[in-house]
Amino acid sequence: MTSLIRDPLLWVLLVVLVAAVFAVMRARRTNLALRRTKNDLETGLGQAQGRIVQLQEHIASLNARHKDDLADVRADAESSTKAVLKSAMGTLQSLAEEQQLLLDGLLKKYGDDAEVLADLMSVDHTGSQFSRRAKGISVLCGGWLGRREGAATVYDVARSAQGRIKDFDRVSIHAQVSVSVSSKAVEPMAVVLAELLDNATTYSAPGTPVEVNIQAVPTGVCFIVDDAGLGMDQETKDRAAALLSADGPVDITGLGDPPHFGFAVCGMLAARYGFAVSVGSVSPYGGVRAVIRVPESLLSADGPAPAEPARESEGQQTAPQRLAPVPVGPSHVVGKTSGGLPKRRRRQGPIAVVPPPDPAPGIDEQTSESAGEVTASRLGAFARGTQLGRTTNTTEGPDHQ
Amino acid sequence: MTTPGEEASVTSDFVRSYVITGGRSLPSSDDLALHTLVTLAPERTLPLGAGPEVRAIWDLCAGGYLSVAEVAGHLGLPVGVARLLLTDLFEQGHLLRRAEPPRAQNVDRATLEKVLNGLQSLIG
Repeated sequence: MTSLIRDPLLWVLLVVLVAAVFAVMRARRTNLALRRTKNDLETGLGQAQGRIVQLQEHIASLNARHKDDLADVRADAESSTKAVLKSAMGTLQSLAEEQQLLLDGLLKKYGDDAEVLADLMSVDHTGSQFSRRAKGISVLCGGWLGRREGAATVYDVARSAQGRIKDFDRVSIHAQVSVSVSSKAVEPMAVVLAELLDNATTYSAPGTPVEVNIQAVPTGVCFIVDDAGLGMDQETKDRAAALLSADGPVDITGLGDPPHFGFAVCGMLAARYGFAVSVGSVSPYGGVRAVIRVPESLLSADGPAPAEPARESEGQQTAPQRLAPVPVGPSHVVGKTSGGLPKRRRRQGPIAVVPPPDPAPGIDEQTSESAGEVTASRLGAFARGTQLGRTTNTTEGPDHQ
Repeated sequence: MTTPGEEASVTSDFVRSYVITGGRSLPSSDDLALHTLVTLAPERTLPLGAGPEVRAIWDLCAGGYLSVAEVAGHLGLPVGVARLLLTDLFEQGHLLRRAEPPRAQNVDRATLEKVLNGLQSLIG
């Protein structure tokens, strides 16, 4: 035993054992401490992640609010811009209309002087273009366009549109139908057609023709505008199609600088009045073909405006209102008197206005026009009467007078 | 947005006169004076593609002689514009024209007295 105690190996082993026990215990303590720390950290991480999610949600909601606010501000700005523009354009439109009325009077007043008349016409032409611009902007801002009192033939709508663009002399109109556009659609149709004609003349070479063909289709009437330009690329077509089919307010600040109002105006008016405008196809001349399709509901059953009556349709009805045919001229001269003067026979029939035997119901509406015609016929008859009593030669052709 | 019913009415001429002339230069008043009388030549048919104004002139002048001023008045057009349309028709041979009839000559008082005396001796 003593020898065992004295054995140094035993002491070494003992020491090692004690050291090992200490080491194990220490490691165990460290392990426990580390586990605790890990748990703490994991909890912290979870909390932090939760916070992140919360913050992200907050950011998203702030972003959404910001976007809404921005949209509101934009809408406010747009609507106040529109309100200002609408009011300003309204004033300009009134002035343009006033000027055109003034010019109507001046053109008649100085109508006999070719030079003054030509000058007044160029002023009138500029005024009409100015008026179209003002009307276009006004329409985009929700403003009025002005309403014509009477229906107008499709031919006159096309001619009116023609007069509102710069190069109106490049436009030729071929009307295969003679129907009228109802009064409420007259002005909008003319404005839309003018915008299409303006595009057609602007985006094709100077001097090339622009054609308007007016054709009847089963659902109404089509105005077809063909130019000989280069056509449109796909991007422009898409943009045009979007503007033309827009069913709602147009963002006027998004129309570029300088702004291209044309298609936006067309789309707006088409939606408001119920006709269709398309510019997708290619014209026979390789340029753009634009088509306005007018439904029957916008065509009028009434006669055209009294200023430009379509005579063929009513020729039969008004014929009896004209003067009774009066034989004129040399047929009455039956010989010569001894003095050399022409001897005349009494006229067969008196000059008289023959009332229509069975007045058609439609004639009453055209009383003013008929009265004008009767007056004209009476004056004509008066002139014929004076002719009978004179020996002035009737001349034909430009050679003599 | 303004509804169509609320729109103000527009009363200026719908088709402007420079469109009716097609931007052509206007004839001077020497060609067809205001009081020159025009009428439709016999046996003429309306030219193809005649506009509403030409058709209106056709109807107006079919009834007999009318002065250029009257034609313009009935059409509601400036005289110069009516004159251009009339000149076209005239150059195509559709119209006849005649200068203003000469004024009646004044008969001298002695002749009138002779007539009066003659009548009185016949009647009385």
